[in-house]
Amino acid sequence: MHGAPNRKLFLHLTEEKARRVAGLFVVILLSACCSLFPTRAQEKPQEAVKAAEKAPEPAKPAEYAGSDTCQACHEDIHKAFQKNPHHFVEKDNKRGWEGKACESCHGPGSKHAESVSPADISNPAKLRPAQADQVCLKCHLNQPTHAGRLQGGHARNQVSCMSCHAMHKGPSTLVARSAPAKNQLCASCHTSEWAQFAKPHKHRLPEGAMSCVDCHNPHGSYLWKSIQTVNANEPGCFKCHSDKRGPFVFEHPPVKLEGCTSCHEPHGSANPRMLTRQEIRFVCLECHANLPTPTAASAGVIGGPPPAFHDLRNPRFRNCTICHVKIHGSQASRELTR
Amino acid sequence: MRYLLAFLLALPLMGQEPAPKAEEKKPEDKKEEKQAAGEQKAAESPAPATERAVTGSVDFGYRFVSDVAGSLQTYRSVVNLGEGPKLFQADLNIVDPSKKLFDRMTLFASGWGGDPYNTTRIDLTKEGVCRFTVDYRNIAYYNFLPSFADPTIGQGVFLNQRAFDIHRRFTNVQLDLRPGRRIVPYLAYTRDSGYGNGVTSFVSDSNEYPVPTEYRDKTDNFRGGVRVEMNRWHLTLEQGGTTFKDDQRAFATQTNPGNRTTPLSGQRLVLNGLNQAYGIRGDSIYSRALFTASPVSWANIYGQFLYSQPKSEAHYSQNNQGLFVVLQSLTFFNAELDQLNGQAKQPRTSGSFGVELKPVRRLRVIESVNTDRLHVSSSALLAERLFLGNAPLTSDQVFSASRFVWNYNRQQVEVLFDLTSKLTLRGGHRFEWGDSNAPASVLSQSGPQESGELRRNVGLAGFSFRPVQKLSANVDYEAASGDRTYFRTSLQNYHKARARARYQLLPSLSLGANLSLLKNDNPAPSIQYDFLSRQTSFSADWRPAGGKRFGLLGEYTRYTLRSDLTYFVPQDLTRERSLYRDNGHLITAMADFNLGGQVHAPKISFGGSLFTSSGSRPARYYQPSGRFLVPLVRYVQWFAEWRYYGFSEFFYNYEGFRTHHFMTGLRLTM
Repeated sequence: MHGAPNRKLFLHLTEEKARRVAGLFVVILLSACCSLFPTRAQEKPQEAVKAAEKAPEPAKPAEYAGSDTCQACHEDIHKAFQKNPHHFVEKDNKRGWEGKACESCHGPGSKHAESVSPADISNPAKLRPAQADQVCLKCHLNQPTHAGRLQGGHARNQVSCMSCHAMHKGPSTLVARSAPAKNQLCASCHTSEWAQFAKPHKHRLPEGAMSCVDCHNPHGSYLWKSIQTVNANEPGCFKCHSDKRGPFVFEHPPVKLEGCTSCHEPHGSANPRMLTRQEIRFVCLECHANLPTPTAASAGVIGGPPPAFHDLRNPRFRNCTICHVKIHGSQASRELTR
Repeated sequence: MRYLLAFLLALPLMGQEPAPKAEEKKPEDKKEEKQAAGEQKAAESPAPATERAVTGSVDFGYRFVSDVAGSLQTYRSVVNLGEGPKLFQADLNIVDPSKKLFDRMTLFASGWGGDPYNTTRIDLTKEGVCRFTVDYRNIAYYNFLPSFADPTIGQGVFLNQRAFDIHRRFTNVQLDLRPGRRIVPYLAYTRDSGYGNGVTSFVSDSNEYPVPTEYRDKTDNFRGGVRVEMNRWHLTLEQGGTTFKDDQRAFATQTNPGNRTTPLSGQRLVLNGLNQAYGIRGDSIYSRALFTASPVSWANIYGQFLYSQPKSEAHYSQNNQGLFVVLQSLTFFNAELDQLNGQAKQPRTSGSFGVELKPVRRLRVIESVNTDRLHVSSSALLAERLFLGNAPLTSDQVFSASRFVWNYNRQQVEVLFDLTSKLTLRGGHRFEWGDSNAPASVLSQSGPQESGELRRNVGLAGFSFRPVQKLSANVDYEAASGDRTYFRTSLQNYHKARARARYQLLPSLSLGANLSLLKNDNPAPSIQYDFLSRQTSFSADWRPAGGKRFGLLGEYTRYTLRSDLTYFVPQDLTRERSLYRDNGHLITAMADFNLGGQVHAPKISFGGSLFTSSGSRPARYYQPSGRFLVPLVRYVQWFAEWRYYGFSEFFYNYEGFRTHHFMTGLRLTM
């Protein structure tokens, strides 16, 4: 409602204009960025001088105290942490955290060890999600799980790593490993999506046979909706439905162009086979309805109507997959009938 | 009890005075203290001494299933749980104190003992040496819904001609060597196989015959690679390959009149025998290269290059006897012998590149470019021989070649600005473009190929608001203007909004709300598509005193789906409207009562889920349940569970079913 005027304006943008606007936008941003760097660089020494003037006795910066010091007070956390995969950091000379696993996330702890004040130590759980993520990404940024991070919804919506990962606990709680536990975790935020699985026709997630992570990559993916990939660049659906993968001698374009969701609702549906419509003929005919024309049909939209012998008054022709049995693609028939 | 005791013993520690300040001590004293603490620690070795080797739980018992009232076929298609002794769930964490074979192992198994969904997952870690995971699933899919794809339903015969009863087995084994080190080689193997039987149709001109079919397919996936993880950059290189085979077969040995009820030119078409065999073999190689880098503190770069080239070879044979027709020439024949050899190849190249810039502390700019392009080139040679009586009637060889092309590109720029420490604003633009060229439909007058294009400008906006730690809200909004799209039902001019909020009202009560909306329309005169989907969810999780005595989790979702699109009736090309409505309510609730208020006290849980919808296919699906758990001895608990499944459909009431499940068994906690 509030966006009505913008919408009109936006919808009237032509492709060329939109490209120009986007290009201009990027140029302005980049120039703004470039212009900011020298300023920042110049400011730094001035700030430092001012700070030195104001504070005659500069506060002694906190130093690394070592995990043994932390253990003295946080024995319970220390014990649980022994079982956590992050305990490996204690021996991590790769990043220089050897003997400083606690401080690898909480920062130098000597001040806190002296004052025992929570104010003297960083607690990532209480930081803003973006700041907390920076703590995790110090080590985890350059890992394969994060190759699609910036395209994922979690990073964009500032969902902190700690929303799913627990740092101090045992191996089963660092992140959910079993399918029911993963589903529970995802469902705690994605309520609407999880609710779809209470419908009669769905993937077997409530039964614990599958998890959300089987299909979606919570760290982000280059595919739409953070869909998992299989065989390098194919949608994760083919991990289990490899018989629908092809390549087929005769392809059915929607499978490749828009994927399974062009006909199926993978989270659940009241329609058999998780179809998007109550009867199969509507699924098919809604697309196969572009009248044949000598020029490009219906503004370049794919899908012509079936030949006239498909008399819908006869129930044989209302159930398209009775004849078009290889609807996902056929090796033997252009009409997908065998 | 032991946890409670440990907690009570630890309580006085919280009341202790803070430790004396460090500056009061001399550095030498501190050193000595540390040394002493180290010695004491070595002597006590607290962690391994108190650590138990196995922790977790195992649930096993027996499930009783009452007689299924209503449609057993629908019950099997929707629920399919059976009676008998079961291992319901095992969730174990095993620590090897000697650390010889492994440091720790997690094992999760569910549904063993004849359930349609068996899973096992083993995760074995030896720190710094290897990580070994095995994931196994065996899922039974039974699908026989009388209302689906059944042309005989009007005659009162409820037979699904597209039914199946299959198992899909999935195994994934992965070995990561030197995890956590700079160079991590890994090897993995995945097998996905399916087998079972079902009903399919054998299609011949003017008639189709439901026949039994056997499914048997298998895909093996081998891959290996290396991850190089440096402090400022990372590179993953992976090379993999798959082999695939599909040996589906359909057959008939008895006379089958097919679905056609009327004679054709005075002749009744019939199938007397069929042997139809698919021998499909396929393989592929694929390569994956992932790259991330943070060369400077204010920039992160990432990129992916993905390439795969699956190929398949089809050897199809068909031998059918009976009375059939070639409709085009009205030629009747008694037998057909077909042999087809085909091959298809699908090279697919995908890539993405992105950069995240943080020029100032409050600003992030994310720019990304994606491309995905594939083409399928295929050819097939069909040798077709028709017989009348025992004499050959025609012999024909048909060569067909096909080409399918798809190119997709996406460019996106998004700016995230921290307006305050509590509010982050987002805005950006996405441009998607692509093209496709596919074999044309039979009636096409624009040549053997038809093409589609995609051009879409999408505006992005949103914000994340977190005024206090207890409250968070995210809003995402997209508005798109497209002038080209592949299909009539594709996204064209759309508005997509999603809002999500969570609020910790009390320490014991958290509330959540979700709203999502998608409005899509295609105003082209020949299409006129109007689509709306709206979902609203509310959830509440109430656990007074940390759920010590009582806990309640409730979720409610209301959704509305409306689609309005015209289509052409094939026989006379008159225009009709396809109106689809689906309005539903979904409620899930679970209440837990701890009768003794202690960890090891009897517990009662009850709740379940409810789904009811109206519209084009109104349905109701209830799954209430109740569970009782009583501790018997220290590590053993007895449980009993009741579950009800009730399904009904307004238009297809013959598909409804009702049944009760009772489960009882023991839970061993370790």
